[in-house]
Order: sequence, then C-alpha cells, then structure tokens
Amino acid sequence: MTLGKHARRILLGGIALGMLASSPAFAGELTFWTWRQEDKATYQEIFKDFTAKNPDITVKVEPLPDNTYPTQVATGLAAGKGADVIQTHAYGWLEQFVKANYFEPLDKTNVPNLANFGPDALSALSFRGDGKVYSLPYATMTLGLFVNKDVFEKAGLTPPTTWDEFITVSKALKEKGIIPLANGLGTSWFNEMFVSAFTGPFLGPDFAAKLSKGETTYKDPLYAGALSRLLELRDYMPPNFEGVDYETAGQLFLTGRAAMLAGGSFDIANYRQLNPAINMDFIAPPAKQAGDPPRPSTFFDGGYAVNAASPNKADALKLVNWMGSPEFGNKFSNMLGNISPIQGVDIKDPILHHVADMNKTSMPHLNVVYFRFAKPTGSELIQANITKMMSGEIKPEQVGAAMTDGIATWFEPFKGK
Amino acid sequence: MAGASVQAAGRAAGVPTYRGESFKNGAIQALLWLNALIMLYPLLIMVMSSFKTNAEIFTSPLALPRSLTLNNLSKVWNETSFLQYLGNSLLVTSASVLLILIVGTMAAYAIARYRFRFSGLLLMFFLSGMTVPLKLAIIPLFLQLNTLGLLNTRLGLVLVYTAMGIPSAVFIMTGFLRALPTELEESARIDGASEFIIMWRVMLPLARPAMVIVAIQNAVPVWNDFFFPLILITSDELKTLPQGLTVFMGEFVTDWGVLFTGLTLAALPVTIFYILLSRQFIAGLTQGAIK
Amino acid sequence: MERRSNTGFPSRRSLWIAFLLAPATIIMLAFVVWPLLSAFQLSFYRFDGLKPGEFVWFENFYKVLFQWPFAEATYNALWHNVVVFFTLMVLENGVALLIAYALLKEMPAHRVHQVIIFLPVVLSAVIVGFLWKLLLHPLFGAVNAALGLFGIMGPAWLGNESTALGSIVFANIWHWIGFPTLVLLAGMQRISREVLEAARLDGAGDWTILTRIVWPLIAPSVTIVTILTFIGAFNWFELPFVMADMEGSPAHSTDVLALYFYRTAFGSITSGIQDFGQGSALAVLMFILVAVITFFALRFLRSREIEI
Repeated sequence: MTLGKHARRILLGGIALGMLASSPAFAGELTFWTWRQEDKATYQEIFKDFTAKNPDITVKVEPLPDNTYPTQVATGLAAGKGADVIQTHAYGWLEQFVKANYFEPLDKTNVPNLANFGPDALSALSFRGDGKVYSLPYATMTLGLFVNKDVFEKAGLTPPTTWDEFITVSKALKEKGIIPLANGLGTSWFNEMFVSAFTGPFLGPDFAAKLSKGETTYKDPLYAGALSRLLELRDYMPPNFEGVDYETAGQLFLTGRAAMLAGGSFDIANYRQLNPAINMDFIAPPAKQAGDPPRPSTFFDGGYAVNAASPNKADALKLVNWMGSPEFGNKFSNMLGNISPIQGVDIKDPILHHVADMNKTSMPHLNVVYFRFAKPTGSELIQANITKMMSGEIKPEQVGAAMTDGIATWFEPFKGK
Repeated sequence: MAGASVQAAGRAAGVPTYRGESFKNGAIQALLWLNALIMLYPLLIMVMSSFKTNAEIFTSPLALPRSLTLNNLSKVWNETSFLQYLGNSLLVTSASVLLILIVGTMAAYAIARYRFRFSGLLLMFFLSGMTVPLKLAIIPLFLQLNTLGLLNTRLGLVLVYTAMGIPSAVFIMTGFLRALPTELEESARIDGASEFIIMWRVMLPLARPAMVIVAIQNAVPVWNDFFFPLILITSDELKTLPQGLTVFMGEFVTDWGVLFTGLTLAALPVTIFYILLSRQFIAGLTQGAIK
Repeated sequence: MERRSNTGFPSRRSLWIAFLLAPATIIMLAFVVWPLLSAFQLSFYRFDGLKPGEFVWFENFYKVLFQWPFAEATYNALWHNVVVFFTLMVLENGVALLIAYALLKEMPAHRVHQVIIFLPVVLSAVIVGFLWKLLLHPLFGAVNAALGLFGIMGPAWLGNESTALGSIVFANIWHWIGFPTLVLLAGMQRISREVLEAARLDGAGDWTILTRIVWPLIAPSVTIVTILTFIGAFNWFELPFVMADMEGSPAHSTDVLALYFYRTAFGSITSGIQDFGQGSALAVLMFILVAVITFFALRFLRSREIEI
C-alpha cells in the first residue's frame, strides 16, 4: 500500500472522528426538555406564539423518555449540557435538583408573572430550605373516575356517586359481560394513583393535614379501613389484573369493553385523541356516603425551571415568564387539556371545567405531596406494598405499618409512632 | 429407510451406532425440531404482527395476517427517527470495531512478537479487563467523559466501547500471533525491512482470520448495547438503535402493530448479518472457547 | 537481535514497542482503571441528591448492608441473583448440554439446528425483552392465546409475583441458550472419536457416555460456560429492566442487584431521589462479590480440567 493511500485513510479517519465528536448547537435557540412526548407537537405550536412576540428567540422541544427522565435530566445537568428550560415535577422531586444548585430561583423581578399564581401553587414548586420558587407551576392534576356514558346508557345504568352505588352498578355491569373497572396493577407509578383516587373520599383533608404534621400516621385505623375498600374492587377488575398495565386499562376503557377507569386528568385530552367518538365524563371517585362533597385527589404536577447554567438565561427567563401568562395558560389548558393554575385562564372544555369545580373540595395526593423528600419515598413504599395487599399476601394494616416505618427513617414527626 | 440412513450418517461422522438406535435418534431429531420451533416461532409472530392492525393482533395473535397492511411500516418510517438511530448505530459500531482492531492488534503484536520486561504483566493487565463489568463504574465514567467534553457525543461512546473490547481483542490476537513462526520475520529483518513493514506486510495478513473473529465478537455486543447510550447520550439525534427502540416503545405503547414493526426492523440488520456470516460467528465462538 | 543503545536514549526498538502499546494502554487507563478507582472513592462520600457532601468513611456501605430498609432491598435483590444463577445453570446450561450432545451425533440438518439455536443470541436484549413482554401480555399476548386454545386460562405472567421472575428467566434462556450449546459442542468435538467408539463397542448407552466420558473431558468448556453464566447472572440488567421496570416490579419480586444499583445511583420516577454515594458503595460490593467468587470458582473448575 502506498504512502498516499495511507495518508488518505488517516485523513478520512480523522474527519470521521471529528464528526463523531461534534454535537449540534445553535444560537438564539432555546431548548426545552419535557417528559410529555405525546405533547411535543402541541408545545411547538404554542411556542410559535412566543416567537411571534420575540422574533429572535426560537424554542426547540426535546422530549426525553418518561421512565428515565430524572436520570437524563440529572446527568445532563451534571455534564453542564442541560436544556435552557426544563420541565420538572414538584415537591420532593424538585428539591434534589435545587440542592445541587441546578435551577435559577424565580421571583417577581425576573418572572413578574409569578403574581398570577396562588400560594398553594407556588409552595408546591418552592424549596423548603429557602422558601424560594424554583419552577413555574403549570398544572394541577386530579385523580378521579372516567366513565363511558354510552356503555352506561346501553346497560340502563347511571354512573355511581357513592361507594355502595359503585358496587351495585359494578355487579350489574359484570352480569352483562362488561368489565366494570378497567384498572390493573401492572404499572407501578399508577398504582399509587389508583390507591389515592379510591381512598381519598374515605380519608378526607383533615386526615391529610394531620398526616403532614405527624399528628397521625399511616398506622391510623382510618387508613387501613380505606385500604380494605380496595379489596372489594378486585371482583370488578379485569381478569389477571395484576399484570394489566395502565395503557392496556386505557385501551379496555376506550374500546368500551370496560365501563369505568380510575385515571388522571392528564389523560383527558389524550383519550379524546385516541378515540374521538367516545362519550365520556370524568367524575369524582365514589363518595363514602350520599351527600358528601366530591373528594378527588389532587397534586401539582410540576413546573418549568430555568437552568442556572444556561448560556441563554435572559431569554430562558423571558420564555418562562411568558409561560406564566394567561395567554399561555389558555392555550395550555385548551390544547393540552390541563388545568392551569394561572389566574385569569378561561377553561372552555366542559369536562375540564367540571374537574376544576371538583378541585375546590379536593384533598392532596398524600405521598406525592408530602413524602417524596427522601428515601425511602412514600411512593415506593405504597407501590411495593399495594400489590402484595391486593394479592392477599399481606393485610391493609401491614401496608400502613410498612409505610409508616419506612417514612419514619427520615421524617421526624413519624419517629417512634 | 430412515433408520438406515441415520445410522449411516452416524457412522460416517464417526459416532458409533447400534441396532435399535434409529428410534431414539428419531425421537432426538423430533425434539431438536421442537426446539427449533420454539426458537423461531416467537420471531415469526413478531414479523407477522407487523403486518396486522391492532384489532387483529388482539383477537388473533397466532394466525397469519389477513392482509399485508403496510400502515405500520409507514408510521415507523415517517414518525420516528428510525433511520437516524440506525445510522448512529452503524457509525458507532464500525468506528468502535475498527478502533478495537487497530489498537488491540498493535498491543497484541508487541506482546506476542517481542520479548521485553513487563510483557507478561502487561498481558495480565489487559486480560483482567475482561472480568471487570464496566457498568458498575458508570458514575465516574460519566464524570470522566464530562471532564473530557465527550459527554453526549458519539466519540465518547466509541472510546468506552473500545476500552471494553480491548481485553478480549488482545487475548485473541496474542494467542494467534504468538503461534506464528518466526522464520518469515527473521528473513524479512535480514533483508533490512523495518519493524513496521514486517508487521504490516508479513505478519498481519496471516492473522486475518483472527481479526475477523475479533471484529464479529465485538460488533454484536456493541451494536446491541443500550446501557451506555442510556446514560451517556441525551440528544435524540445521537441515539443508537437499541436506545431509540426503548424510546420508541414508550411513545407508541398502545399501538401494538407499530411496536412489532419497530422490533422487526430493529432485529433485521443483525439477523441478516448473522445469516450471511453464520459460519464465522460459530467459528469465532469455538475459537474463543478453546483456550 | 536487539540493539541496546549506549547513549542512554531508548533504542528504536523500545520506542517502537512503546508506540504499539501506548494507545491501548492509555484508553484502558482512562476509561477502565481510572473510573473503577473513582467508583471506589465515590462510595466513601455522602451525596445529598446530586450534591457531593463530606467524607463519611463506610457509612454508605453500612446503610446498604445493615440499615433497614436499604439492607432489605439489597438482600432481596441478591437472593434473586442467586436464584437466577442456579436456575440458569440447570435449565439453560443443563439443556444446552443435552442439545450439544444431540448435535454431536451429526444427524441430518444438524448444521441448520446450530444456526437456528444461535440466532436469538445475536439479537439485542432490548428486542428480546420487548418481544417477550408483548407475547406474555395477560390479555392480548400470544402465549395466553395459545394456552387459551387448550382451555387453560394463562396467568398474568409478568404481573404476578410468583411468575414474574420465572418469566424473565425463561426469556433469558430463550435468548442465550445457543451460546452454551455451541461452546459445549465445540468442547465435545475435540474428544477423539476412538474414545467414543470404544465405549460404544463396550455396550455403553448414550447416558453413560455423556456422564462418564464426555462430561469429564469437556471440563474446559464447562468452566467457561459456568463462569460466564455466573457473571451474567450477577450483572443481570437489560432483560429485567425492559420486562419489569426499575423497581423490579411487581413488589420487588424481580429486583436484582444491577437494577437496585441503577435506581439507587440514578433515581427513578417513584424513588426519584438519587444517591451517587450509596450507588457507588453498592457497585463496589457487587464488584468484590463477583471478583472473589469468580477467582475461587475458576481455581476449582480449572483443577478439574485434564489435559486432553
């Protein structure tokens, strides 16, 4: 082989290596990270409005997969290669990032639109350590019950409002060959929501308040009582429900094979898109007794944070501020089907309006709001133990005990209880 | 008669047979074909389902597709970055394999053909790399690549794979190169050839079969790996095929037809590669097995 | 033929050798040795989420090994790794041994069988995992559909605590069995035909030949297969990650050390909080466990090997 051929090969090799080392980056463009892959197109559409007002700033939406989102955000930020604006969850999830100084604190000077938010919203996205807001709240999520109105009508039944009605209706549906409740336990993060949705009406906001202060724990017989209600549901869930994941449950509901589905308001728009013909409603989970106010569980899903190390911080703050405006809130609610906490937003969708009303008497989604600050999180404890309870391996009291003991390792008010 | 031919085949292969064994051999053959069925049928379902609509998959998962709907295929083609992932995998795998070959062969040649102090120690150093699961050092590896500015780059990924592939490459090449006779080398030296020319023109061409084995043995795990890209690559444009597949499976989680199509397309390159080179694959395996 | 330089400057030969060795050595040092040593180091620090904290000696190790609830998770995961290893030894390698012996007879189409059995091996664990996840779906999967043909109601394979781990192990066997089969076959093929013929003529049946003659003589191949199965079982990650999830659902029944390490170090949706310090401690312990056992196992297995 001649030297010339050699040189050519080395040159090509060098170029190839050079190409491998480069990664693309553009100026005047903000990157936005989200775990909502399904919302990518809508976000891009909404951001066009921002660019219309700020012509030198474009926004690139980069979704990261849901189940590795915290990992990828953490590693990206640790590498100094985080996006400019990052969608975050709330409460404990946010804290770990704030402690590492990854996010820019937001206040009325750099994000004036914070004035559009109520105190609950802001505290959900604040750091307990210094009380500052680190992420702009974007939506409350509500856990309730989807019902397929057509299926009910055809069966000659009405959607239940109390627990007893729920059981009666389910028995009747089952006789007609319809699966009453589509849910399964196959998706661990949703199991927690399943528990919350149905136990909420039996616990109430007073319990939640006491729990958060440590005046009572999960060992409270009230909690065990609420959990044992779930055992009654097993007869009305699909066959092999332990393995039925959340997406399959959604399918069963959407295709009319099941009449009801415990779900989150974050799926209202999604389900409409998957089956535009469905005639559904989102109602409060069955109440303890007739006359009780609707008691769905709610939590703030998250916010939009600004990367403290972003090279385009000024622009990023502009974008986040705009995302706190009613203009964004309106589009956000109506196009993405979420309930925006921004004051002055007009929710047009009838189902969402209904949900917003329900939220007035809601109670907090316990583990997500109070117990995700350290390991073991309340979430992982309930998720692991609820499948055991539903398979009959352990009793409801044991679930409460396991959770209390686990949380007690880091939550002072629970210690020794 | 089946019995006689089996016996004849057995005798021809040198494995002795006896009367009455033909029945047993028949049973063994049946079991082997059952095994082949178990290996292949799931893959067949995977391919068939790619051509079915979701409703069809749910109602008749085992049957042949009613018609060959290319709907799923067009979805994958248009709505995902499948081609991009494929391209990245090709780039990363070829670059890694090339680098492993070059760097590993160089080191192996030094150890195999020259006697010098520490050569034994160095061999041990390289070989010990084979026992180490680099995954466990992922955290500092991540920080290390970050320091070098190689995070979220394909080059970083290539270097990691190279580091993982060097031990076995050195092992195989050293074994091979050591066994080559010294006469050719000696006579070339007498003729005044430089060490480089000796290596390049005389010895390495003889080691080609071993290099093919090293190439295949590294190409497959590198191509299939998704753990390192999971941590080290965040930009969508740079993702490799297995990593892209996990993203993809999350995005289309309810669209089973599309899921199966994605799996089929992802499996296709490796399967074709394997079928064309099955002899070399298997030879490489047995070579590696014989220490 | 070496030319020892007497000017003190390294000879051309030494430079040439150094040049040959340099790239590989540098890459290994930078991307293997250094990270491993750093992993040891990180395990001695406390991490507050993502922020490195102070030096805490063996606190992370203590937490992972002795403190509830971390220790419970550790031993739960470890136990599963052990179960997986022994199951694979018997079901994967044991069956591989039988298949290899069957292939040794070189009956018609034996080469085709070799190619077929090795095909799943070349597929990515991601593909295998997702494929079996779909096939094992409780309501729409092909496996339960097939069982349904016989009137059997299949369980929720991956959702049921008692069947989940077994289902994933089954997928693993399907994936990898070709590998030990061909390695053991290669070992068997090195046995001289005369030995086998003689045994036959003496009236020995297949089982006797397999256990008394073939088995001892393929010791080197058995060594390789055993060690690799051990290392694979204890570093098992891709398949459970894809088929279960990071928590080892349901109820941690499919949790294994590598999964536990990953979510400790990097967090997950549920246990969102990550802890590099604790994760590194776990990694160090895993490494020591595998290295020590491999070392002793290798010595034991090597002693069985007789020179053919």
